[in-house]
Amino acid sequence: MSKKDSRRTFLSKSAIATLAAIVGSKVVFAENFPKELEPVGLQPDEVKVKIPGKSDQLKILNSKPLSAETPPHLLDDEVTPAHLMFVRNNGIPPEEVDVQKWTLTIDGESVVKPMTFGIKELMDNFDHYSYNLTIECGGNGRAEFNPPAKGNQWGLGGVACTKWTGVRLKDVLNKVGIKDDAVYIGYYGADTHLSGDPDKVVISRGVPIKKALEDETLIAWAMNDQAIPVMNGYPLRLVCGGWPASTSGKWLTRISVRDKEHDGPKMEGQSYRVPKFPVPPGTKVPDDQMKIIESMPVKSIITYPKTGAIIPKGGSFEVRGHAWAGDLKVKKMEISIDFGVTWKTCELKDPINRLAWQRWKINVKLPEFGYYEIWARATDEKGVAQPMVLPGWNPKGYLNNASHRIGVRQG
Amino acid sequence: MEELSKKELVLKQAKLAINFGVGVIAFASIWVFQFTIFPDFFKPEPTIVEFIPDSTEPESVSYFELDSADIENGIHVPTGLIVDDGCQDVMVTCGACHSLDLVTQNRATRDGWKEIIVWMQETQKLWDLGEKEVVILDYLAKNYAPENTGRRKNIENIEWYNL
Ligand code: HEC
Repeated sequence: MSKKDSRRTFLSKSAIATLAAIVGSKVVFAENFPKELEPVGLQPDEVKVKIPGKSDQLKILNSKPLSAETPPHLLDDEVTPAHLMFVRNNGIPPEEVDVQKWTLTIDGESVVKPMTFGIKELMDNFDHYSYNLTIECGGNGRAEFNPPAKGNQWGLGGVACTKWTGVRLKDVLNKVGIKDDAVYIGYYGADTHLSGDPDKVVISRGVPIKKALEDETLIAWAMNDQAIPVMNGYPLRLVCGGWPASTSGKWLTRISVRDKEHDGPKMEGQSYRVPKFPVPPGTKVPDDQMKIIESMPVKSIITYPKTGAIIPKGGSFEVRGHAWAGDLKVKKMEISIDFGVTWKTCELKDPINRLAWQRWKINVKLPEFGYYEIWARATDEKGVAQPMVLPGWNPKGYLNNASHRIGVRQG
Repeated sequence: MEELSKKELVLKQAKLAINFGVGVIAFASIWVFQFTIFPDFFKPEPTIVEFIPDSTEPESVSYFELDSADIENGIHVPTGLIVDDGCQDVMVTCGACHSLDLVTQNRATRDGWKEIIVWMQETQKLWDLGEKEVVILDYLAKNYAPENTGRRKNIENIEWYNL
């Protein structure tokens, strides 16, 4: 039997009914196995999963719910092309989207009166704005934590800076009217929970009202002047640049203005939280000693050359990439070719707008034959720089902004 | 005289054979009758018996076998799981909601895996795993244990090319 055939046989056995028969209740504990579930784990993910609208060069971390990251050398563009923007799904995206019927409801304890808008109403009634916004997954870099942290093991590529177009959340909130006691907003989306329970909310996070009312916080219907890619939230997305990407709700249907910190799924417990004070690696931190992540930390990537470059003797080459610092600006960019002993300052551009990443570049010449590592280090406007080793350990492995390193050789 | 006794002998044997046949039929019908009403009467308690792959026990369901064509270097290629005791249980249970990529990507101690399971039970609708929990934890703790990677690893798997 060929590999492919055997795999097909394997797949054909995957329906749970058949499984219960072949495996038997003693193995599955079948009485607890929800009827509506198909064991997706039995699907061969080595048969390359195709992500709608995405390059097959993205590295798939999880085939369901889909999570995929971009190798850093593919992030070289100033504006990340749509097919190269990473994906982090928490549940199952909505399958049939009718843009004409799609609505966004603004409600919650702290609105004067709830209101619902169609997408066309949003387009017609409010001014449009476009911003390049850096969105980074809170767990980007998790793969390096020691002891390991659970969840998708992101390398460097859970980040992108694309052009978002839509209306300002603050304009919409002003139209609806918010009360003085508003402290937080929380989003809801149209994705569904992996357990198959249609009433279970997958993820509902948000930001304090101050961040919600910033100019750059958008309700967006376009990315890079096109419809938002299906996996990045089509047809409507909340975008909060510079904060964990999980605050930018996809497939947006509702925003609640809360009179307290929002308490939706993945706001509480250990999700998207770090210890209130530094802890030794491996510490069990009680929930009440954890605080919500707000702005992402200063960070940079080398997008050119790709790691592994062999440079001819005497040759020089450009090294370049992007740097960003959450809500702040990056004020200095440096690289080292001698394992951090000396540092050279790079040319650093201003961001296109607030919360967009900044381009940097430098010409490099390796002194002699041998193996080198290029280390990149950004410093934000408050003087806070990237660490060379892992930053403070935290139980869920967030906020790893350790310096990006690539290997190069002179032949 | 001789003839008669021969005849009688044959007749006797025939009677014996018929009686035996009737007996067998009667016994069989009683057996079938009780079987339809009390199917489990003569069977052992349906408690957790370990499955023996090619057991001839009439009601033992055929064991869920991995196709050897799918196994390469101890890895079950379609799922990426390490082939070991409990692999099938993990495949079926832990692949129900999400792909097994979430299992193969992660490393944790036994306590760590237990915490992940409890977290999914408290927040993600994972059910009580019953007696399978031990099998699954044994498998995960053995095959997906953490290694100490220090404060930072060397850059690994560089593919060299001429710039
Ligand atoms: C009832 C559905 C369900 C089943 C069955 C299930 N899980 Fe999960 N699991 C989830 C959900 C939902 C998540 C969150 C997924 C995400 O955030 O992408 C998750 C996340 C995880 C994670 C990552 C944890 C984190 O903090 O992000 C691991 C590891 C994991 N599961 C392992 C397992 C193992 C091992 C089993 C088998 C014992 C299992 N899962 C069975 C629903 C399930």
